Amino acid sequence: MATFRLQVVSMDGLEYDGEVERIKLRTIHGDLAILARHMNYVTAIGMGTATVVFEDGTERKAACIGGMLSMMNNHCRVIPTTWEWGDEIDLERAMEAKKRAEERLQDSNLELVQRVNAEAKLYRALVRIGSAKK
Amino acid sequence: MAAANMKAVKLRIRSVQNTMQITKAMQLVAASKLRKAKEKADKSKPYFTIMRETLVEIAKGNTDFQSPYTKQVDNDKWLYVVIAGDRGLAGGYNANLFKFMESETKGRDYMVLPIGKKSVEYFRQHGVELFTEEYAEVAKISVSDCFGIAKLICDAYSKRKFGHVLLCYTDFVSMMTQTPRSSSLLPLADFAEEVRNAEEPEKAVRDLILYEPDSETVFNAIVPEYLAGLLYTSINVSVASELAARRTAMEAATDNAGEMIEKLSLYYNRARQASITQEITEIVAGAEGN
Repeated sequence: MATFRLQVVSMDGLEYDGEVERIKLRTIHGDLAILARHMNYVTAIGMGTATVVFEDGTERKAACIGGMLSMMNNHCRVIPTTWEWGDEIDLERAMEAKKRAEERLQDSNLELVQRVNAEAKLYRALVRIGSAKK
Repeated sequence: MAAANMKAVKLRIRSVQNTMQITKAMQLVAASKLRKAKEKADKSKPYFTIMRETLVEIAKGNTDFQSPYTKQVDNDKWLYVVIAGDRGLAGGYNANLFKFMESETKGRDYMVLPIGKKSVEYFRQHGVELFTEEYAEVAKISVSDCFGIAKLICDAYSKRKFGHVLLCYTDFVSMMTQTPRSSSLLPLADFAEEVRNAEEPEKAVRDLILYEPDSETVFNAIVPEYLAGLLYTSINVSVASELAARRTAMEAATDNAGEMIEKLSLYYNRARQASITQEITEIVAGAEGN
């Protein structure tokens, strides 16, 4: 299948740079897959699991949160706020973070800001758990 | 007279030695901190470069001016985010940046969001309007602070407190060279402007871009993110530049002190020799007289 150049870069560094067949991820608008020769396209990334399909057909998953995606002239740049490859995620830590966030949310006198923060933490943990390799 | 002179030289040598000890220590501290900072800067650099590339491409192709972040507004007030160091004794690091700022801002109506104590001091002294002084210490700025700054800038921008936002930082070219640079932040149209000035005129036909769900939502979501990202990464790069500049400056200072000590010891030894010779001559002359 036709391939295109994908660059994934987060604030922690260049995560990937090379030819891929497909990238699938969750935007603020819903799930989306980019194939080669996609039209010029810009969107904002939501929270979810991203799947990259490489030239040889192998897949690699990652937890991908925030940022933007741009596809310009067959060159795709994904610039998320955080990007963690599934095989590098510490599942135990994510589970703990989930538990902690859930416990916090049990508290009904939580202030709005704290509630929003705890919810965001919970979502992040859930995305990480979902993206981790089992 | 020779004895008094010798004592003065000895004192001078001691004082230079003390200074050398300090500069040597500062050099070592900077060198060890630099290693970590450089790692961080190396990781940050691709983000900065690719993010800018992307924004330039979007700006070139953009035909959509719904979002306030994309269109050029007729507001000639500029906001400069100036990232300098917290401390001096870093060679020309701070001075070069401020000199660069002066040439950048010539003839413009501007205000400054200083980051770094030296930056705050400098612009306060020059009576420049400061946007906020909350982020004075560059060493303490975290990712979440960057998001805070980004939000602040976005809010003020949408209230039309200024029409353009620019970032001034020091690029880490290599261990020996660091150059002050500037980069547009807002509006998006400024990115295209930057390229147009630097490159040959681009082809007239624009590639259309599809924004999903629509440009306004997309830009509202990504602008604070990219502001924070560009800020954070350029801070990392600037911190590495500061440390490299300090290391080089302190290395030069240590070398100079060493040279000075050598010269002074030579002078001291010569004076000592002269006084001994004189004493011998006096004794011999005395013995002959008997």
